[in-house]
Amino acid sequence: MKKLLALVMAAAMALSLAACGGTPASTSTPASEPASASTPASEPASEPAQTETVSADDIEDNMTSADGKYQVAFVTDVGQLKDKSFNQGTYDGVKLYAAANGLSYKYYQPANGDQATDDDRYDAMKAAVDSGAEVVVCAGYLQEAALKRAAIEFPDTPFVFIDGYPLTDDAGNTLTNVAGIAFQEEQAGYLAGFAAVKDGFTKLGFSGGGGGTNDACCRFGYGYVQGANAAASELGITVDMNYSWEYGATFQASTELQTMISGWYANGTEIVFACGGSMFQSISAAASANDGYVIGVDVDQSGESDTVVTSAMKGLSDAVQWAVAKVYDGTFSEIGGNATSLGVKDNAVELPTAADSWRFETFTVEEYEALYQQMLDGTLVVDNDFSKLETTDWSNLNLNVI
Amino acid sequence: MTFLIQQTLIYAVPLMIVALAGVFAERSGIINLALEGIMIFGAFIGVLFVNLTQKAGTFAEAKAAGDWVALQGFMVLAMLVAAIMGAVFSLLLSFASVNLKADQTIGGTALNLLAPALVLFFIRIIANQNTLQMAEGDSASWFMIKKSFFGYGRSDEMGFFGSTFIDKTYLATYICILLFILLSVLLYKTRFGLRLRSCGENPQAADSLGINVYVMRYAGTTISGALAGMGGFVYALTTANCASTGDVAGFGFLALAVMIFGNWKPLNIACSALLFGLFKCIAASYASIDINGDGVFLLADVGISPHFYRMLPYLITLVVLAFTSKKSRAPKAEGVPYDKSTR
Repeated sequence: MKKLLALVMAAAMALSLAACGGTPASTSTPASEPASASTPASEPASEPAQTETVSADDIEDNMTSADGKYQVAFVTDVGQLKDKSFNQGTYDGVKLYAAANGLSYKYYQPANGDQATDDDRYDAMKAAVDSGAEVVVCAGYLQEAALKRAAIEFPDTPFVFIDGYPLTDDAGNTLTNVAGIAFQEEQAGYLAGFAAVKDGFTKLGFSGGGGGTNDACCRFGYGYVQGANAAASELGITVDMNYSWEYGATFQASTELQTMISGWYANGTEIVFACGGSMFQSISAAASANDGYVIGVDVDQSGESDTVVTSAMKGLSDAVQWAVAKVYDGTFSEIGGNATSLGVKDNAVELPTAADSWRFETFTVEEYEALYQQMLDGTLVVDNDFSKLETTDWSNLNLNVI
Repeated sequence: MTFLIQQTLIYAVPLMIVALAGVFAERSGIINLALEGIMIFGAFIGVLFVNLTQKAGTFAEAKAAGDWVALQGFMVLAMLVAAIMGAVFSLLLSFASVNLKADQTIGGTALNLLAPALVLFFIRIIANQNTLQMAEGDSASWFMIKKSFFGYGRSDEMGFFGSTFIDKTYLATYICILLFILLSVLLYKTRFGLRLRSCGENPQAADSLGINVYVMRYAGTTISGALAGMGGFVYALTTANCASTGDVAGFGFLALAVMIFGNWKPLNIACSALLFGLFKCIAASYASIDINGDGVFLLADVGISPHFYRMLPYLITLVVLAFTSKKSRAPKAEGVPYDKSTR
């Protein structure tokens, strides 16, 4: 018996060792033989003309370039690359542009996950530049300090700072190789909040990421409240809203977040705006368990869950392609060192109106487009000073900040 | 109230089953510090199984057809796979501590260090990121028992019992409770259980009566590994939306605390797991707990800082252990490698 057990153990250990030994060996093959192994990955890049419309999901996340250089680099924000939201939407832009123009691309995830330090981010940017990056796309305002250091150190490399702003060096000179691109998230939030209340939801929720320190999320939330309030006053009703930054500081899914949101749904909340990357996982799980609804963020998330009614989108992918194109056609100086803020006027924020993404029952696409038009021609201006959120006296909305 | 009971159960059940896993190992004389590691490994295996079978499309048809019996079977299968792999993983601990007579604390710690690293390594290869999720949908829409299964409409009432213990629950919760009861009986009312416990108290005496101490210790640790692996998957399924991240939020260590607090006895463990579950639940959702259903959220209205509620589970652990640890009585021979020659 003992011998048998010993034999089984030995076999198990040998097997697990073999498994550990085998896997890295097989993954490292492409690196050592780039010429033969890179064929499938670089195929879409070298023959972009064959496919008419390319979906970003069809493009490989990892590509191997024959010379080991990666021209378009992407440094991720906290959270997962495949968060089906902010990181993924931004990276889609990188992939689409690179694939369409036959460029090599690569993503760099700063070490230590959501505990990444400025040094980790800087190391990722440096790795990108060292690998021959001609443009580095950095996502997320958290990268500011690292980006500043990298931009000073590599003045010839253009950096695209998504959800960002122009940076200055210590002497106060604007860094002209950094293009800060922000969005008017308050407009997208307004559209979502307005639509939700018009569609008959009266108990709303907002769960945001970044712990209230992320300007983009703050603008989303502030716009959402304004939109809900405006729709409620049009309908002559009063709506309730739970508004929370709890458990969102790292933009990660967590059991606590799922429990908290479950509690909201169990107490009558009908729809929650899941404003923050991977937090969507926890919130949609809670919604699914309680037959509730969710508003997605950044990209059209209707495909992720049947609970998603709409998504407050910002055109991450388009903005990245637009900015990277400026690098390659030599007009980067137009945006380098400047703040670019994209909104309805640039077609950069919207709700998805495709038939299978539009899941409102009474609110129609026509009403939405009328509202959108008002924003476009300036008759409707959405305030973006989110510091006024809690001091404003909302006429038709009970704001319950948790 | 319904919400509170359901969420408490969701947190308490993985704790309970993993604490029982600890009891089986320790009663046989092996300190299983590796509970956390085995949970992480079990969660990974279970989620991987779900992910792969979803991709293979085997169960998508059942979901499309609304065949929830098949889906529940699928979930039980995933639990089983997690349990088997948990048991296999725990063999490393048994081998080190029984055959090699190594220090069990160090062996367990080694597994705790190994598991998250190994799991993350595999996840990165498989999913190219730090989280392995379900291939499609979320755990609630696949595996949760809803009242619609029983022909109730969305606005129909099921009564207090129905809406608390049937609607919006996971079958896994009840399987774990059932297993908990069965295994407690096994440990206390059968010959096997008595022999197992004797090996944790006085292995020399047990050996002199013809009980094979090595086999008993292997059995104890293997059952422990299976339960912990399954507990890990149940944790991932019910609280973490069926995602594996190489982390179970310290539930393995919390289960150890529950086991010590429960004095290595199943009934006490069940009670203390419920206590911890309750406070975990309060910590996360104090603002929406409406105890008597009158629309007043007492805990939020009292005006105590949210940070206090979040500290509660850990404060309670400290306080409770401070008061009960004097009476705690661990199995006598736990942690001591059995050596026939020292009889």
